[in-house]
Amino acid sequence: MYRIVRNNIIEFTGIMIIVLVLLLLSLSTSFKISYDIPPSLLNLNTIFLSILIEALPFVLIGVLIAGVIQIFVTEEHIQRWIPKNKVLAIIMSCIIGALFPACECGIVPIVRRLVGKGVPIHAAIGFMLTGPLINPIVIASTYMAFGNDFKIAGLRMGLGFFVALMVALVVSIIFRGNQLKTPIHTRSSHTLSKKESLSTRFWSMLTHSIDEFFDMGKYLVMGAFLAAFVQTYLPAKALLEAGSGTVSSLSVMMGLAYVLSLCSEADAFIGASFSNIFPTSAILGFLIFGPMMDLKNTLMMLSVFRVKFVIGVLALIISIIFITIMLVQSFI
Amino acid sequence: MRFHFQQAVRAFILLAFSVMLFKLHFTGEMTKFINPKYEGLSQSASVLFLILFIIQTTRIWTIKDNSHHHHCHQDAHDHNCSHDHGDSPFNTKKLIAYLVIVFPLITGFLLPPKVLDASIADKKGGLAVLSNQKSENKQEEKAAANNNQQEDPVINEELVDLSRIEDNVYTNEEYEQLIQQLEQSSTIEMNDNVFSTYYEEMHMDLDKFKGREINLKGFVYKEDGLEQNQLVLARFLITHCVADAGIIGFISELPEASSLEVNTWIEAKGVLDTTNYNGTKFPIIKITKWKVIGEPKEPYLYPISVKVL
Repeated sequence: MYRIVRNNIIEFTGIMIIVLVLLLLSLSTSFKISYDIPPSLLNLNTIFLSILIEALPFVLIGVLIAGVIQIFVTEEHIQRWIPKNKVLAIIMSCIIGALFPACECGIVPIVRRLVGKGVPIHAAIGFMLTGPLINPIVIASTYMAFGNDFKIAGLRMGLGFFVALMVALVVSIIFRGNQLKTPIHTRSSHTLSKKESLSTRFWSMLTHSIDEFFDMGKYLVMGAFLAAFVQTYLPAKALLEAGSGTVSSLSVMMGLAYVLSLCSEADAFIGASFSNIFPTSAILGFLIFGPMMDLKNTLMMLSVFRVKFVIGVLALIISIIFITIMLVQSFI
Repeated sequence: MRFHFQQAVRAFILLAFSVMLFKLHFTGEMTKFINPKYEGLSQSASVLFLILFIIQTTRIWTIKDNSHHHHCHQDAHDHNCSHDHGDSPFNTKKLIAYLVIVFPLITGFLLPPKVLDASIADKKGGLAVLSNQKSENKQEEKAAANNNQQEDPVINEELVDLSRIEDNVYTNEEYEQLIQQLEQSSTIEMNDNVFSTYYEEMHMDLDKFKGREINLKGFVYKEDGLEQNQLVLARFLITHCVADAGIIGFISELPEASSLEVNTWIEAKGVLDTTNYNGTKFPIIKITKWKVIGEPKEPYLYPISVKVL
């Protein structure tokens, strides 16, 4: 009896929501307010939505993978897989990150889930930094953007990998614990889920993904909006005129990489368009820093980790990239 | 039975995202946001949202004694999944969070997408980023291309085929042919699908193309430092989404330049030459014939990709 009521009421509510959305849709098509809005706001909105539309598929993939990890991977697995030795763990995580074709928008929920499952923070950071930077699509697009020349693509991957290793190493020395904002009571929770059937586990994986999406969603939206705002109102031109020396041009390019929040698969072409005004070292800074950390990503990380930790990691990434590039710039 | 308001709101938002993406595809407005090559990705996102919506609807109503049966709420204190399941009480902080997520839905449904214009070109760096890129490392490659050209000079028949290639994906040979066409034709047709390729190729050796005729379309962009009779005929090149749009275009010279409004689209015919601007060598088009046109249906350019394997 209850069951029948319940089933019908779910369908009924579902249909109500569909009707509501369609009603709003038809309202919106008949009611376009375009005439009194300044064009720069429309530009802002278009760029904002395009960043969001571009990121959404990857975020969805990210939260689904996070859901899979939450339900199917147990703490025991993690303990068995990750080496006890810190350095080994970091090297392993960086290599896994390099093999794992992730995008920077999708990687934060995955990292959060991994840390929640007991992956040490330094290994998680190594994975987070190499994941979006080193993958086949990024290599191919960098190769093409720089005139089918492997030099820049190779340097990007090589130096990027080195930077990720160094950052993860320093993180392992400075930070202890899992650094998550909401402390997780690590208790083996999935002794009970083993009793559940596969379909129940699959179902709860999907509901977990939905919750994860709503957790991440607001930060994604804010990040996309900020990045779009910067693009519409901050003249890159003024920045370009500011950077002439090696140090200032590198700072300018890294600053651009941070605020533009481009997808790592597309930023090579933008980087290439600067190659006549800036030295190669500055372009490399742009290409390596962008995928590791940007405005959109920082906001998403703030939703997961403690503020102090996020700022610490950001400062580490910036300084290590800076030092590395200053050291090698005479050779490239 | 218990009604969970927040779960209903979440279901609504998921469906709204799905419908918004679907609507953008359906009306064709999607091309104003992303490169059509990646449309498949956002289409699957739309489908995924729909699936998540269906799953979410089952959580709106729960039978009272069932409400804590969620696997990680088995024991009320053993909360180990660190995220909000939408069961906790509603407060201002949450209201703000939902408003933030709803925000793109509102602007997406209500505001029309806008084609990027000259003001964005200016913000993106204008002429400074538009000059010749990576001219050195392409020299060798060009020499190789020249050799090939001598080996098989018959290429003009393929002209029609090449311009019809779908999705802008070319094989290596097709790409070579494209470049040869450019090098041999006396009038360069800057069609949308080859615009960026030709543009790059021409910048590798500006003098080689001096004196050739060129036909192109673009919008008017102006910058301080240009002469009275000069303007830039510019286009945006979209790699992935409009956020990564890069500006490409030619400085053009025509007597009526000062009377032409910024953002006007024109179709022009002219002769290529070179000029110096801020110490950098630029190509310049001496326009012989031009007319104002409406904004094209596909205002953006997309880079072609060459199949490596």
